[in-house]
Amino acid sequence: MKWLRSKLGYAGAGLTLALAMLTPFLLMGLFAQGFTRLGLHVDEIYSGGPTVRTIQENGYTIEVHRAVHPHLWQTEKAFVELEWKPVSALPERVTELVDIDGDGQADVRVSFDVPKDAKTPLRVNVEALNPRYEAMRGVGKPKYSELIVRVDDAILVRVPLAKGEAEQK
Amino acid sequence: MAEAACAAMAGKMEPRSWGKAVLLTVPMAVWSVLMAMGGPLRHQDRAVQIASGLTAAFLTGLFLMMMKTASTYRWRRWYFVALGVLFPVGFIHMVMVLRGSMGIPIEEMIAGRTPFCFLPIPLLILPAAFTKTLVFPGSILPGSGMAGGGMAMMVALWLALTLVMGKGWCSYACFFGGIEEGMAAVPKKAQWKKIDPRLRLVPWAVLLAMVLLSLALFEPAYCMWLCPFKAVSEYVAARNMVGLVQNVIFVMLFAALVIVLPILTKKRTQCTFLCPFGAFQSIFNKTSVFDIKIDQTRCSPCVLCQKSCPTMSLSDESIKKGETLLSCMKCGACVDACPKGAAVWHIKGTDVAVKPERARLMFLYAAWAMAAMFGGSIITEGLATILHQVL
Amino acid sequence: MGGPLIIGEALLLGLASGPACVASCGPVVVPSLLSEGEGWRLNARYLSYFLGTRLLGYLVFAVAAWELGVLVSPAGAVRVVIYGGIHVLLGVCLFWYAFSVGRGCAHDCAGAGLVTIGEKGKRGVPGAAVLGFLTGVSLCPPFVAAGVRAAELGSLVAALGFFAVFFVATTVWFVPFVGLGCVRRNESVIFVARAAMVLVAAYYLLAGIGMLAGRRIYG
Repeated sequence: MKWLRSKLGYAGAGLTLALAMLTPFLLMGLFAQGFTRLGLHVDEIYSGGPTVRTIQENGYTIEVHRAVHPHLWQTEKAFVELEWKPVSALPERVTELVDIDGDGQADVRVSFDVPKDAKTPLRVNVEALNPRYEAMRGVGKPKYSELIVRVDDAILVRVPLAKGEAEQK
Repeated sequence: MAEAACAAMAGKMEPRSWGKAVLLTVPMAVWSVLMAMGGPLRHQDRAVQIASGLTAAFLTGLFLMMMKTASTYRWRRWYFVALGVLFPVGFIHMVMVLRGSMGIPIEEMIAGRTPFCFLPIPLLILPAAFTKTLVFPGSILPGSGMAGGGMAMMVALWLALTLVMGKGWCSYACFFGGIEEGMAAVPKKAQWKKIDPRLRLVPWAVLLAMVLLSLALFEPAYCMWLCPFKAVSEYVAARNMVGLVQNVIFVMLFAALVIVLPILTKKRTQCTFLCPFGAFQSIFNKTSVFDIKIDQTRCSPCVLCQKSCPTMSLSDESIKKGETLLSCMKCGACVDACPKGAAVWHIKGTDVAVKPERARLMFLYAAWAMAAMFGGSIITEGLATILHQVL
Repeated sequence: MGGPLIIGEALLLGLASGPACVASCGPVVVPSLLSEGEGWRLNARYLSYFLGTRLLGYLVFAVAAWELGVLVSPAGAVRVVIYGGIHVLLGVCLFWYAFSVGRGCAHDCAGAGLVTIGEKGKRGVPGAAVLGFLTGVSLCPPFVAAGVRAAELGSLVAALGFFAVFFVATTVWFVPFVGLGCVRRNESVIFVARAAMVLVAAYYLLAGIGMLAGRRIYG
C-alpha cells in the first residue's frame, strides 16, 4: 500500500510537470475555449444588453437595445440603451424622436451636441413622451443607468425606465 | 568543501558542483528561450528584444543558482521582487499611453476594456453560477485597448497554473506580492515580532464577506472597496464622494500593508492578513501533489522555520504535526532557514525526507516553467518600458 | 382574481424569488449563523428566529402596503431614507452581534444557546431575531415585487395572506442553511465568521450613511 501510494505520488508529480510543459501550447487554449463555452456573459449593466432594433436615419443608425434590469442590490435603475453611429455621420446637434418599443409612436425626444473633439464631455436632454421612461436634463455620465458617452465611433445614451416599469420586470 | 561538509552533517542538501548545476539548468534555459521566442523575441522592437533576452538570462541565472546552492527562497525572491516592481511599470505606462490616466473612465468599462486580473476570480463564481453573468466590466474574449487577452485567457491561465502549483501561485505567479516581499527584505530584523496568530485567519473572513457581498451587490466588492493594488494599477475614476472614499481606502491599505508593515514585521502582510484570493488559493493546496513537511526525527525544534515564514504558515501545533498550515505558498523560506534539514520539500504519498531534493526539483521545474512563461512576459514588458526611455 | 389563484401567484413568486432572497440575505445570515454553536438543532433554532421575525417584518410592511397602497413605491427620497436607515441599523446590529459572540459564556455548563444582542436574560434579544426583522423590512428587490402586487389587492387580509404565502415559498430556499450546523465550530471558524460580520457591517454602515447623506453608492 505504502509502495503504491509512493508510486502514485510520483506519478502525480510527473503529471504536474507534464501539465506545466503543455500549458502554453495546449492547456491554456483548451481552458480558454472551455470557459467561453460555458455561455457566460458580461453583466448587461456594463455592456448595455443586445440590440433589438435598428432605426435607419440619414447616413447613420440608431440601435435600440433590450431593456436592462439591475440585479438584487445593484444601485442602478433599469434602463434602455440607444446607440447613435457612426459619429462621423451625425449632425452637429442631434434632436431625435425615438420610438423605443417599436409601436410606431415616439417614446422619447433625445437631444445632444456632437462636438468635433472626441474628448469634449457630452450632455444629453431626454424628454419622456411615454411615461414608461424618465426624463433627463443636462446629464453627463453620473451612473451606468443614466448617461451619455462616446465609445469608439458611437454615442450611447442610456434612458432610465420609470420606477413602476422597472418594478414590473 | 567545508560548507558542503557542514551541510551534510546537518542533514541538509549539499551545494552541487557547477557542472551538475549547469546540466540541471539546461532544460530550463531552453524553456526560457522558447518562451521568449514565442512572444517578445519575435517582436521587431529592439527594446523588447533586449528585454526578453535579459529576462531569459535572468530567469536562467536564478535557476542555475537554485541548482548550485540547493537553496530556493533567496533566488526566487529576486525574480518575485522583479515581477512585483516591473508589473506596475509596464502596466501604468500602458494605461497612461492608452488612456492618459490611471482612473478607468466609464466609457472604457462600458466598452468592456477593463483589464481583468486574477483577484476577482473567486468573487465571480456565485453570480456566474446563479445567473450566468460575469459581474465585471471586461471582455470574455480578447479585445482592443486594455482588454488584453480577455477574461477567458486569465481564467485559463489561473486554472492551469493552479493545477500545477496550487498555492504556489502566490510565490511564482502573483504579480502583486513582489513589492511587499521586497519591502520585507529591507530590514535585517523585524521590529514587530509578536503578531496575534489569529490575524492570519482574516483573509478567510475577507473572502467570505466579499463572496457574499459580491453576490448580493452584483459587483466585484473587493475590487470596489478593498484592493490595495489599485494604488499601483488602476482604479475607478472618482466621480463623487464615494469614489473618493474608495480611492483613499486603496491608498491607505497599500501604504500600510504593502509598504510599512512588511518593513516592520518582515512578513508579506497583505498576503497574510488581507488577500482573499490567497485564502481561496489555499484550498488548492489540497489538490497539489507538492507540499512542505517537517521531518520530526530531525526537528529540534528551534522554530527558525516559523520565524522565517513570510506568511505565518507554520504554527507550534503544525510543526508538531510535521506539516505546514493550509496557507503555505511553497516559497521555500522554511526549508532554507532550517539548520537541521528538517523542513523538506515533499511529494504527497511518499515518505517524509526520502529524497526531498527530488521533490524540490520536480516542483521547481514545474513552477519555474510557469514563472518563465507568465512572470517572464510581465518582467519583459516592464523592462522594455524602461529600455524605451533609455535607448 | 380568485383566492387560489392569488395564493398560487404568491407561491410562484416566492419560489422564483427565493434564490434572490438567499443572495440578498446571505451577507447577514451566513457569517452570523457560522458564529453560532455547532449542531443542526441550534442552527434550526437560529433560522426559526430569523425567519419568524423576517415574517413579522414582511407582515408589518404588508399592513402598511395595504393601508398606503403605494408603500413599496414611495417617492425616491423617502425610499432612500428608509433604505439608508435600515442599512445603518443592520450595520450597527452586525457589529454588536460580532462583539456579543466574543462575550458569550464558553463553559459547557452554560449550555448551547443562541447569541444575544446585549446581556443574556431578560434584557438580551436573540441576535437572529433582530437580524431577521431588519432583513424582513428592508426593501430587497424580490420583496418590492411582492409589495407591488400586495398593494393592488382588495383587502388587508388578502395583502397579509399574499405576503405570508410569499414568505413561506421563499423560506424553502433557506432550509439548506441548517446544513451549516454540520460545519465543525472551533475558534478559527468563529473568528472568521466574526471578522466577516465586521466587514459586512462596515459595508452596510458606509452604504447606509452614504444614502442618508444623499449620495448614492457608485452614483
